[in-house]
Amino acid sequence: MNGKGWDRVRTARLGGDGAAAGTTGIGSRRTGSVQLRQMSSQTVRLGRVQPQAPSHRTIYCNDRDANLMARFKVNSVSTTKYNVLTFLPKGLFEQFRRVANLYFLMISILSTTPISPVSPITNVIPLSLVLLVSLIKEAFEDWKRFQNDIAINSTPVDVLQGQNWETVPWRKLQVGDVVRIKQDGFFPADLLFLASTNPDGVCYIETSNLDGETNLKIRKALERTWDFLLPDKAAEFKGEIQCEQPNNSLYTFTGNLIIESQTLPLSPNQILLRGCSLRNTEYMVGAVVFTGHETKVMMNSMSVPSKRSTLERKLDKLILALFCGLFLMCLIGAIGSGVFIDRKYYYLGLFGNVEDQFNPSNRFVVTILTMFTLITLYSTIIPISLYVSIEMIKFIQCAQFINKDLHMYHVESDTPALARTSNLNEELGQVEYIFSDKTGTLTRNLMEFFKCSIGGEAYGTGITEIEKGQAERLGKKLDEVKRSDTAIHDKGFNFDDARIMRGAWRNERDPEICKEFFRCLAVCHTVLPEGDESPEKITYQAASPDESALVNAAKHFGFFFFRRTPTSVMVRESHVEKMGNIQDVSYDILNVLEFNSTRKRQSVVCRYPNGRLVLYCKGADTVIYERLGDTNQDIKRLTREHLEQFGSAGLRTLCLAYKELSMDVYEKWNEKFIQAKSSLRDREKKLDEVAEMIENDLILIGCTAIEDKLQEGVPACIETLSRAGIKIWVLTGDKMETAINIAYACNLINNDMKQFIITSETDAIREAEDKGDPVEIARVIKESVNHDLKRCLEEAQQYLHIAAQSLALVIDGKCLMYALDPNLRVNLLKLSLSCTSVVCCRVSPLQKAQVTSLVKKGARKITLSIGDGANDVSMIQAAHVGVGISGLEGMQAVMASDFAIAQFRFLTDLLLVHGRWSYTRLCKVITYFFYKNLTFTLTQFWFTFQTGFSGQRFYDDWFQSLYNVIFTALPVIILGLFDKDVSASLAKKYPELYKEGIKNVFFRWGVVAVWAFFAFYQSLIFFYFTTAASRNGHNSSGKIFGLWDVSTMAFTCVVVTVNLRLLMACNSITRWHSLSISGSILAWFVFIFIYSGVMTPHDRQENVFFVIYVLMSTFFFYLTLLLVPIVALLGDFLYLGVQRWFFPHNYQIVQEIHRDEVEGISRTEFLEIGNHLTPDEARSYAISQLPRETSKHTGFAFDSPGYESFFASQAGVLAPQKSWDVARRASMRTSKKTSPK
Amino acid sequence: MNDYHGSAAGPSSGSGDGSAPRRNSKRPKYSKFTQQELPACKPILTPRWVISVLTLVGVVFVPIGVASLMASNNVVEIVDRYDAKCIPGNMSSDKVGYIQDDTIDKSCIRTLTVPKDMDQPIYVYYQLDNFYQNHRRYVKSRNDAQLRDSEQADKTSGCDPEKNARDGSPIVPCGLIAWSLFNDTYSFALSGKILTVNKKDISWKSDRDHKFGKDVFPRNFQNGTLKGGATLNPNIPLSDQEDLIVWMRTAALPTFRKLYGRIEQDLKANDTITVTLKNNYNTYSFNGKKKLVLSTSSWLGGKNDFIGIAYLTVGGLCFFLATAFTVVYLVKPRKLGDPSYLSWNRNPSGH
Repeated sequence: MNGKGWDRVRTARLGGDGAAAGTTGIGSRRTGSVQLRQMSSQTVRLGRVQPQAPSHRTIYCNDRDANLMARFKVNSVSTTKYNVLTFLPKGLFEQFRRVANLYFLMISILSTTPISPVSPITNVIPLSLVLLVSLIKEAFEDWKRFQNDIAINSTPVDVLQGQNWETVPWRKLQVGDVVRIKQDGFFPADLLFLASTNPDGVCYIETSNLDGETNLKIRKALERTWDFLLPDKAAEFKGEIQCEQPNNSLYTFTGNLIIESQTLPLSPNQILLRGCSLRNTEYMVGAVVFTGHETKVMMNSMSVPSKRSTLERKLDKLILALFCGLFLMCLIGAIGSGVFIDRKYYYLGLFGNVEDQFNPSNRFVVTILTMFTLITLYSTIIPISLYVSIEMIKFIQCAQFINKDLHMYHVESDTPALARTSNLNEELGQVEYIFSDKTGTLTRNLMEFFKCSIGGEAYGTGITEIEKGQAERLGKKLDEVKRSDTAIHDKGFNFDDARIMRGAWRNERDPEICKEFFRCLAVCHTVLPEGDESPEKITYQAASPDESALVNAAKHFGFFFFRRTPTSVMVRESHVEKMGNIQDVSYDILNVLEFNSTRKRQSVVCRYPNGRLVLYCKGADTVIYERLGDTNQDIKRLTREHLEQFGSAGLRTLCLAYKELSMDVYEKWNEKFIQAKSSLRDREKKLDEVAEMIENDLILIGCTAIEDKLQEGVPACIETLSRAGIKIWVLTGDKMETAINIAYACNLINNDMKQFIITSETDAIREAEDKGDPVEIARVIKESVNHDLKRCLEEAQQYLHIAAQSLALVIDGKCLMYALDPNLRVNLLKLSLSCTSVVCCRVSPLQKAQVTSLVKKGARKITLSIGDGANDVSMIQAAHVGVGISGLEGMQAVMASDFAIAQFRFLTDLLLVHGRWSYTRLCKVITYFFYKNLTFTLTQFWFTFQTGFSGQRFYDDWFQSLYNVIFTALPVIILGLFDKDVSASLAKKYPELYKEGIKNVFFRWGVVAVWAFFAFYQSLIFFYFTTAASRNGHNSSGKIFGLWDVSTMAFTCVVVTVNLRLLMACNSITRWHSLSISGSILAWFVFIFIYSGVMTPHDRQENVFFVIYVLMSTFFFYLTLLLVPIVALLGDFLYLGVQRWFFPHNYQIVQEIHRDEVEGISRTEFLEIGNHLTPDEARSYAISQLPRETSKHTGFAFDSPGYESFFASQAGVLAPQKSWDVARRASMRTSKKTSPK
Repeated sequence: MNDYHGSAAGPSSGSGDGSAPRRNSKRPKYSKFTQQELPACKPILTPRWVISVLTLVGVVFVPIGVASLMASNNVVEIVDRYDAKCIPGNMSSDKVGYIQDDTIDKSCIRTLTVPKDMDQPIYVYYQLDNFYQNHRRYVKSRNDAQLRDSEQADKTSGCDPEKNARDGSPIVPCGLIAWSLFNDTYSFALSGKILTVNKKDISWKSDRDHKFGKDVFPRNFQNGTLKGGATLNPNIPLSDQEDLIVWMRTAALPTFRKLYGRIEQDLKANDTITVTLKNNYNTYSFNGKKKLVLSTSSWLGGKNDFIGIAYLTVGGLCFFLATAFTVVYLVKPRKLGDPSYLSWNRNPSGH
């Protein structure tokens, strides 16, 4: 049951905005939350004026009647945009906010007046069809949201009713109810934590839905409420909660619990937020505090700023140009009508009382009114169905192609790609800059324990790929050490050395230090074990994968950490006393000295069962070495060498050290520690200082080396993308060395490149920092950054001009902060744009967003951000296209993204295949739409000249209204879905083809002009050929055609030609193409046969009655039907032929190279590998690209953001608001401003 | 653990598919559609294709052009513009005054010489110029319901300004089109012998049968202050008033021909036809030409070189282009799919 509930909620969070449903839904929720926020701020303001307005709420627990007064919100949530009543008005309102729809509404209104030459149906029918399709889509999406809401709202939960737990759906939950949540269950509302089955009243929760962090957090109930666990006891609980009004701050809560006139303060530590789930706890009992939309997660529900693609913005310009064309045409016609109208045409009956429009005595009025007439007549120049067609095409592209592409399906994590918005498909085809997070995106965030050094002895026989590469370049052949049978390759453990495995360490030179090493690994950490307490089944929950890799390693060495209580750690130790002996040892954890980025280390004070007090410490080599005692210089020297070896092999290292403590020293220190811990001001600083006092005179044990594994196929993908003209920037929170190392491994930087490094780790800056004057520090850094930038820029220009060398820029966060200053920004931009790769390290989430918008706004290039974690959210939202890595833990990035893929390497498919296709297809669709409407309208325009500029329509009303929605609608959609210039595999084989998208080759004004020219040419042919050919009698009967015969003939030619022109634009012709094109032409004939064959009793001008039968009885019809389309298309044909012959596009050459190949992709190819390089190939490729000189750095592990908060929440300390949270808020604010829609 | 498995099976049994436990996988199903691998033909417009298509068009068009042109050439057409010539010399400065003066006899005699043998039927057309039958005000000034159905005689909507007679009763047929009905008449004589003009079946059958009622008779027609054109015999139903039917099928262009009748008698070359015409219709107000046309017809229709010339020109052009392209192709062939044409190969720096 739990599992089921979990499943549902997860789908709710994941799929809630499934596929393309995303934007709108989120948009509405954003406005919702904005309103709520405004409301709450209003109540606050009102509160000052009217004291009676409550600034806090009082909740009577377990007493539904008492709470009735307060009228709290119910717990059902609704994310729908409409309900049955509001659907039509609101939906229509939304539709008419589009300019095109509004324009057609106005035209429709205009066409009901006598001014109009066309009957209202001409415009009403296309408009209503377009509206209908859009409304159906809206309704469908809202229905999905509604279903989702129902699923969430009816998730069962146990509520205390009388003395029993009763299962009710979530929506029936009320404020004040006492509920029971079982293990792995989700919290249905914001709860006050009362009791749990765990001792000490703690429970563990997972907050990945909230902040994307997967580590468990501890919540602790007030001691006073620990007993209210069983139903009979819980029924006695009658407390009163006074707390703040609902707000959106996830990390704060203020309130009091009043039990039996005893007031107990409440903190966030007792609050369990909706959206989190219960872990490692059989069940817990809580009281509902906030429900439904008032829960913190709902009030905080994230918004995705709605993005419009660049192509669409360009399209707006095209539409504007069309409007100008329309205006010009109308103006010409209107002036003509003013000049033409004259009483001499007596047959027009212009005597007596003539309506204003034809009154020759006031030519000005005639001109003005004819202007309006012509606007309605030429309204078809604006392609009304364009937007809805594009929407449909994009929707299907997303839902059917991107989401279901087997190339982008990741088998291991069972994750297909997910397009969360459908309006950015073609943007994917024009990306020029990719901003990538490192951890979890380029690398797997999978740390494998690879090597170690204990007491000056290096262990581990593995050879990293970087080492292999170095060896290969030196021409040496490394003897591949054959893996012994004992080798274990577990998740996070890839180590083999018979000397220390399986208790063999007992025979080593110094088994004692080995023991310390293993104990340090098993004890000094903050990992939580989960699951069965057996070595096979246990899983470790840790903030950083380094940590769990180390604990895991300890397990394999025979020191199995299996249980943690708040005060102790249980380790099952093997082979300690003698070989084969297993015993459980419990270490009391007395203090945890937390990790943070200044300390770069972490320590634990523990007490052995025999009373021995030891401080274990692990951390970066630099900080540990500073704090070592003077003993054992040999080990220090040897370990230092090993550290450098490991570092150059691309491994992440940590030093391990310990220190024996005497009781009295510890007691003295502990007092200070407790003082610092309870101090209210500068607590962290004081804690650091206290820690410093005991972390000295350490004894070095050794070091560990962990391999940070690259994601599969990353180097190959990056190579492909850069061949495609895409520049990849890595923005990471990691250290510069780590970042550079990964950049090398990923093929972003190689030794042929000129590197520019701008870092704050210079002596001058350090000196200034030591003095501690913030103003001075800022000045020094700014100056040095300014200097560096100028110098680099000069050099860069030299290199570019003279050597044509590719450049790389590495900059760290601190310098970036100053470089982003408005004064220096220009230089930064210039420099970074001339570099092929840029690596920004140590950057905050906000800076990631700033860098992204620097390029987006400063350089006006199309940007894509890809990341997996909460710290990438701001960057994802800032870029044109945001891509989230899904399938791993944490939904934050995915929720903010526009597309979610499981692996970085799928970017190749997403951009080069789907993006490129979407772009070329949409360009074709748009230009074709433009062409077909222009052609059609221009024939009308030429006719105007022949009618005395009276605005007489050439075509029947129904022809005109159905032209866009039936006779030419489907084929262009088919083209937009299926057109394929080159196959997917060729698109990836020739990534350079992608450059055409970056340069926007297919939607330039030049391209539009060519289409416009041929539209002009064709319309002339249509009008003048048909009229010239139809002048005299036809057949042997000598009878003459009238206006409607000629216009039907012309219309037939237009429909046939326009459809055939589409066929000429196709690169690949599937069954669907031929079906839809012949279907459209057939539809016209079927329509005209029926339409002109019947007479209706309705008041209809029987203009076209029998016209087609009359026409088809003449040879004229067939001769014209052969002549006109061929002459019209001859121009296009010659253009296409000559263009291809003499000025071929790249894709055309590729088509030709592979013209004889059958695109036979067997299904088996899809089975597992989506990458065209096998992993081995990719590896060896990556190796060959590695740096040639050995760097002396020793990248230290534990360097992931989010680590600090882990400790904070572990210790029950209020976590500060995270920087990315701030960034997110900031981006939400700006999004509100920038997109007022 | 068990709990989880139980629930995992839940949705799949619920979906009613129950095929396999793998059902739970999110792996997209393979289909040619979703993987965008629909079988397709990929035409490449190679020079060879361009040349072949052009040749083909030429091969098809030239014969059609020749046939059409021959058909058109076989048609014998006599065109006689009479609007100016039928005005007595003394009135030539005041043409409008002449035409509007009912007292003057409008008879006029024209003599036409047959240039070539003309086989019957010989069609008689009148051709007007600068007459905007397609003007918006003109085109909509009719009511089809009224024309079709005697019950709806009072339906005159859209007929402004020729809607009702002075007493308010509806005009049938109402509207400007009918009101301005052409009223010149022609009679022909060949060497003193009258050539009968058959005025039956000069309109499209569908118009006669369906658009003009057999029981609809003209009423109040041409009773207004101004007389626009011809009058109608109120005793003949509209479906038999073929001149009106022809006139009411409004023309597409301001210059148009309308069928007047048929002479069902062969004419020999150099025959002289005397045409006695009543020059009633006012085209002088707007400087419109009036022409009388006698024409035979071919399988294609009347004399119209346009289609033939167009076909021939296009066909010839295609031949020419095909030849030109062939020469270019032979002189400087482009190897299909030559990778050196790829922009990044042409210009290694990539810019």
